[in-house]
Amino acid sequence: MSAYILPIIFIALFCYSKYKKVNTYDTFVKGAKKAIPLVVDIFPYIAAIMLAVALLRASGITTLLADALSPIFNALGIPTELIELVLLRPFTGSGSYALLNDVLVQYGADSYISRCACVILGCSETIFYVTTVYISQTKVKKLLYAIPIALVCAVFGSVIACLLCKVI
Amino acid sequence: MNKIWFVMVVGSICFMLWVDPSSVLNEMIDASSEALSLCIELCAVYAVWMGVLELVEASGIGNKLARLLHPLIKKLFKIDDSETEKMIALNMSANMLGLGNAATPMGINAMKRLDDGSGTATPAMIMLIVINATSIQLLPSTVIGLRATAGSETPADIILPTLIATACTCTLGILLVKLCNGLYAKIKKKGAKK
Repeated sequence: MSAYILPIIFIALFCYSKYKKVNTYDTFVKGAKKAIPLVVDIFPYIAAIMLAVALLRASGITTLLADALSPIFNALGIPTELIELVLLRPFTGSGSYALLNDVLVQYGADSYISRCACVILGCSETIFYVTTVYISQTKVKKLLYAIPIALVCAVFGSVIACLLCKVI
Repeated sequence: MNKIWFVMVVGSICFMLWVDPSSVLNEMIDASSEALSLCIELCAVYAVWMGVLELVEASGIGNKLARLLHPLIKKLFKIDDSETEKMIALNMSANMLGLGNAATPMGINAMKRLDDGSGTATPAMIMLIVINATSIQLLPSTVIGLRATAGSETPADIILPTLIATACTCTLGILLVKLCNGLYAKIKKKGAKK
């Protein structure tokens, strides 16, 4: 069902634009042209954050942290197996999807652990990545409390996810 | 961001002196080239979405959407600029459809417009960051896809818990931002009086 949503939105958009006498081809090209400068602008920011994440994982700090933090996370109801996922999620999208895949294969796609992992990923975002990219084109240096709030929400989301998977 | 990055990088490299010093540079270059290929992929994705976005704008749908979400945006961001409002409306709509990558160019645009050049994030910017970071998502399509590939019998049964969880985090995020924005404004006022 959901597969139809986007194509239908596209058809509606193109037809509506035509009806409004917009030159669809010219307009599309005009917008698409802006993609390259945008990507060139945000590349260094993406490279910096991915570099930091790669080093963090390669050094083994994440697994150490996961072990060290497991009592806290267990107390919150997050299983030990998912701590690394919760820790890495704010930093890397592709990395956390790779981790999710490992979990799915290892514990079986319909197990409690896997379902928790899916909900955790579904209700969270790559906080640091999003933040870096979003402010990359502004002059902002001080983010005040933006990141702490986002992180609190992410942990809260993980706790709720594990709780909900037990009930539903 | 500067502090976080410094701690992450220096801490990791110090650690790697024990684990495997020879792979430090390799890891860095690998990550950078991974970032480059991601950017090339993003460039393609953005080209499609920014083309579509231009159509959305030119056809006037953007304005309609902004008007539809106007009460909500007005309440959350307290801004009075229809162009910015439009960008935020599009950003939020794309996020809801689970199109994070499509939301990014509009998000960046909105951020640029919200920036007051003081170097400190404005309350509206913080709100936009937190809303994007907690991402209300109606369809976690990637996750469902992965789950189906891994042999799940009912891959879509995570939709309901995900919806509830994402609604909870988003509400909490918005409340916390409102609270902190209020506190911050008070502290600033006190500072100004002194």
